[in-house]
Amino acid sequence: MKFLTTDPVAVPSAVQYKRCTIDLQSGATTLEDVPCRNLEDVLGGFGRSYQVLAERQVDNAYCAENPLIVNTGLLTGSSAMTGMRTYFSGYSPIKGSKKGLPSAMWSTGSGKFGAKLKWTGLDELIFENCSEKPVYVVIRETVEGPQVELKPADQLLGLSTHDKIMALHAEYADAHFAVIGQAGENWQNVYMGAVALSTENQLKSGEDKCRFAGRGGMGSLMGYKNIIALVAQSADKLKPLSPEVKKVNINVVKGGGSTRLQPISRGGGGGTWAAYDVMQAFHAVPLNNFRPQGNDLPEKLCRENVEQDYEIKSEACYRCGITCHNNVYAKNADGSRGEFLAKFDYEPLNLLGSNLGIHDAGQAARLIQLGDNYGMDSISLGVTISYLLSYNERHPEKPLLNGASFGDYEKIRDLVIRAGEGELPEIGRGSMRLSQATGETSYAYHVKGLELPAYQPETNPGYAWAIAGGHMSMATYGLLTREGKADIDSWVKGITQDKLHMVGFDMIGLCKFFDIANGIGTQMVVDCLKSEFNLEIATDDIRAAVRRAFLRGLALELRQGYSKEEFALPAEVYEQPNGHIQLPQIATPEFLDELQKRVWAVFEPELEALSL
Amino acid sequence: MGHKSMKIHIKLIGVFRSGRFKEQSRDYPVGTKVQIVVKDLMLPQKHLGIVLINGVHARVDSLLQDGDTLSLLPVLGGG
Repeated sequence: MKFLTTDPVAVPSAVQYKRCTIDLQSGATTLEDVPCRNLEDVLGGFGRSYQVLAERQVDNAYCAENPLIVNTGLLTGSSAMTGMRTYFSGYSPIKGSKKGLPSAMWSTGSGKFGAKLKWTGLDELIFENCSEKPVYVVIRETVEGPQVELKPADQLLGLSTHDKIMALHAEYADAHFAVIGQAGENWQNVYMGAVALSTENQLKSGEDKCRFAGRGGMGSLMGYKNIIALVAQSADKLKPLSPEVKKVNINVVKGGGSTRLQPISRGGGGGTWAAYDVMQAFHAVPLNNFRPQGNDLPEKLCRENVEQDYEIKSEACYRCGITCHNNVYAKNADGSRGEFLAKFDYEPLNLLGSNLGIHDAGQAARLIQLGDNYGMDSISLGVTISYLLSYNERHPEKPLLNGASFGDYEKIRDLVIRAGEGELPEIGRGSMRLSQATGETSYAYHVKGLELPAYQPETNPGYAWAIAGGHMSMATYGLLTREGKADIDSWVKGITQDKLHMVGFDMIGLCKFFDIANGIGTQMVVDCLKSEFNLEIATDDIRAAVRRAFLRGLALELRQGYSKEEFALPAEVYEQPNGHIQLPQIATPEFLDELQKRVWAVFEPELEALSL
Repeated sequence: MGHKSMKIHIKLIGVFRSGRFKEQSRDYPVGTKVQIVVKDLMLPQKHLGIVLINGVHARVDSLLQDGDTLSLLPVLGGG
């Protein structure tokens, strides 16, 4: 990026970002320095990409007019801790309105690809049209500036995400990679394809430790465009750590924000896996398609039970001191560490474990690994399978597909493999479409077409206003559970004021664990921007930009045909209230009706003033 | 007259159990607040996320009553 001002709020056009537009049909590439329109453009990520998407009317995700936008955030590749994010944006194959229009969507992941992309000198790639033949895209740093080249990718076809990365690594030793798995290649029948991002740990160890931009089927969109992989080849260009950024980084690690995610050996809580213990205390761990039974079954996948039989190693993203990864390995007969199995995070572990009736850690790990290797979003995959299993439970006389039932590991494994191979569109196209086909939509745990993460909807009516799926774009998941807020005022304030700010991390290039409770409108971020780029931006200006970006997301949803009735929770929540969940029952029709009225009363005037 | 005591049933969740216990009943003087129990158990304050008294959300400065069940949970975050 070029900074010709220190005040990007007053003069955003004096900040320019480097974009490369690639016409996949002709192979032509266009490099340009694009002046920013506003602070959202400066910050980057979905704050910028959604403005590009808003300029286009797209009625079908799989059409030439739908771009795939790959960009970074302002602090991606900086010395600020966690600055590793890459963003993938486009109109989603899986998330869409009941009118049949695709929703704008972004997905993000860490790994080192984003930093490498930034270090080539490019800030954004826009892929137009489709390539006739499978290609991978090499973005490299040269003395003349960044160059982009399309290369044949036939040799990569059919490989898993990990194998694609390792094959490319053998050819490009100083690069990092963003790839799709077989699922993305089978985009016609798999709408939940993820993009896998390579990590230093993966390239050094040879173990399948990718990170993923999983949500919304951006890997499927990439597959539709016939892009099999992206290669970012550049020297590492970390600036020396300034005293100001060093202070921020220390605060990220030692301040309150991330300590719960750090390893238990360091006095931390042990990553997101720890949510299992907390949610189970309320009997709110999803079980058998989001129907907790008030029993102890989920405890089998709590850490204290798993570590008896498996080795758990705490590891981190590149240069990150939070060290939130809990990598699970088999134990050899002599007690030494054996094969790497999977990284245990709360969402994939639950949604491919307890929520499928799988209570064996080794089996859950294998399902996570399979989904990752095929390159599918673990949330959408797990929830769509759990829907199928619940259908089969209700209809034992006429089950669907292979007749799998809760806890039947072999049949569930078969579903994952066949979905990844593109043989089961019933699974690969997600729970909304499957439930519409069966006619039993009440049991499908999605909101606006995107499957819910592993927080019971009974505990989080805020899901309805999440603009990019679940709790990572609307941080109300702890409002009832953690804060005990059961009154309507707290929920209106949470949705319309405080909790939407989580999406700021999906603009600026930082992981949410940088400061998950406070967002990016903080002195820590201000200090980083001053130190790294000599930019003078006030916290209020950052918060205003995040709010505008969020509202633009809502406006785009409405433009793509969502009715207000679709801003709702799965119907089973109301139709069959679950008395086992030991929290106040706020997810009643009356509460939700009132919430709808009051939330829209806040958002609507602002939406009217917002020009797309 | 000596201080009256009350019995508090304590439940620890997740990482708080490490080196401590899952559930235990302990005696505390009448007028004890949650924070006294937290200190007594040497729980790291920065990890204390949720306090429940008889299953209802409470605060570290909440007063305990004889027979209460006090649940102490770590911070819930992310996923």
